[in-house]
Amino acid sequence: MFGLPKRLTILPLFLLGLLAANATAQDPPSEESINYFRTNCASCHTIGGGRLTGPDLKGLAERKDREWLVKFLLDPKATLDAGDPYGQKLLSDARGVYMPPVAGMNKELANKLLNLIDAESALEKSKFSGFQISERPLTDLDIATGKALFNGQKALQEGGPACISCHTLSGLSGLGGGLLGPDLSGAYSRLEGRKALGAWLSSPPSVVMQPLYTNSPLDSEEVLALVAYLKATAGTGELEAESTSLEFTLAGIALAAGLMVLFDILWRKRFRSVRRTLLAQR
Amino acid sequence: MTNYFWFGVFPYISLVVFFLATIRRYRTESFSYSSLSSQFLENEQHFWASVPFHYGILTVLGGHILAFLCPQMILGWNAVAARLIALEVTGLAVAILTLVGLINIVIRRLRFPKARRVTTAGDWFIYGGLLVQVVTGIGISINHGWGSSWFATSLTPWLWTLVKFNPDVSYITPMPLMVKAHIINAFLIILVFPFTRLVHILVVPNPYLWRKTQVVIWNWDRNRIRKSN
Repeated sequence: MFGLPKRLTILPLFLLGLLAANATAQDPPSEESINYFRTNCASCHTIGGGRLTGPDLKGLAERKDREWLVKFLLDPKATLDAGDPYGQKLLSDARGVYMPPVAGMNKELANKLLNLIDAESALEKSKFSGFQISERPLTDLDIATGKALFNGQKALQEGGPACISCHTLSGLSGLGGGLLGPDLSGAYSRLEGRKALGAWLSSPPSVVMQPLYTNSPLDSEEVLALVAYLKATAGTGELEAESTSLEFTLAGIALAAGLMVLFDILWRKRFRSVRRTLLAQR
Repeated sequence: MTNYFWFGVFPYISLVVFFLATIRRYRTESFSYSSLSSQFLENEQHFWASVPFHYGILTVLGGHILAFLCPQMILGWNAVAARLIALEVTGLAVAILTLVGLINIVIRRLRFPKARRVTTAGDWFIYGGLLVQVVTGIGISINHGWGSSWFATSLTPWLWTLVKFNPDVSYITPMPLMVKAHIINAFLIILVFPFTRLVHILVVPNPYLWRKTQVVIWNWDRNRIRKSN
């Protein structure tokens, strides 16, 4: 054909075939979608590993059509509020907790993620079958290790920051932990136990934590120790953040006043000699 | 997009203006490099304005620079709860000193006609900017503690991405509004720095700290001079 070698005549057909395939078709999952799922979805969902905070996504395509799923990923709350019975069921399974809006989501990414879920569902064991946290009974040593990790007395192996920088917890000494993030006293019960909390800790999806822990993840022993500590302190009542803020503010004011007195004493001779003359002339 | 402008672009605009305008002012108006002290015009309240303000702001600035340069050292220090609280309370106390000094500066310049006379529009602008900076700083310290730790974990990495000309605003995007306002205002102050009295920071006579003591004495008969007037 046109004097071209046979192999080259096949090439345009192959390229045409590639062009014809659109993003919604079953392309092999891209590295981008795998990384995205790992960072943003795996902390609440497994594929074939059972429910965490969110439902198991194995066989998702059989539950709802692609159009609805894309719409859901683009705006989870609006889609659930639209009154669809399946949406209502999802909401009641999640005890009324909506899936949070997903960072950087668009139609193309949604399709890529759904392709990935379909491909992983077809496998006997998906690489997202869930964070495997040990089932062994939690010991006092685990709790003590968890406490040391939380407070920063024991550094995290990969160099991630200690929890206390941003989170407080009941039972912490002094004025408690940081107030940038939520109080973690109820985290164990909020996330419904070891498995889901472990998955959350193994790849935290929060926008503040993500840049900090993506390259410095917690290892499985650290996750277990923190789960043990959060379980041990769960339900002992949340700290009253306002009262600790007040104590902190008063301590700051007291120290500032003390420093002013110190200045006055240190410079008690400040108005002698030339300065006294200047003051008198004013 | 807005975040990218304020935390990925604006800092560079601010720093470029800072360097170019600072150098230009030094080359063309080197004698204007001064805070133009008004101490001679009013010396009593001046003490309660200048001293707490300067000791306060120098300590606060030092803390910020330390967290930028040695974040691991700060986190190591904060690993013991008592040390963390000592650092945070000290930080808040010096911020309150700064605020007290700044309020006294403003009151003094309004109250004493001579001091008011020499206060320029630029001075008022910088007092306003500093007031916003100190108030938001104190607000963050109280409402979003423990800043010494999360500055080291979340803001230091962002600042280093700026240094490496590859700004990553994802560290800042989720930060509370007050933190964002504090950062934007900081770069605004850096932007106007070369046009204000703040340039005196660059010409602090540091050798005074280690040079030999000089005793200044009156070498004339004061009574005689006064009588001749």
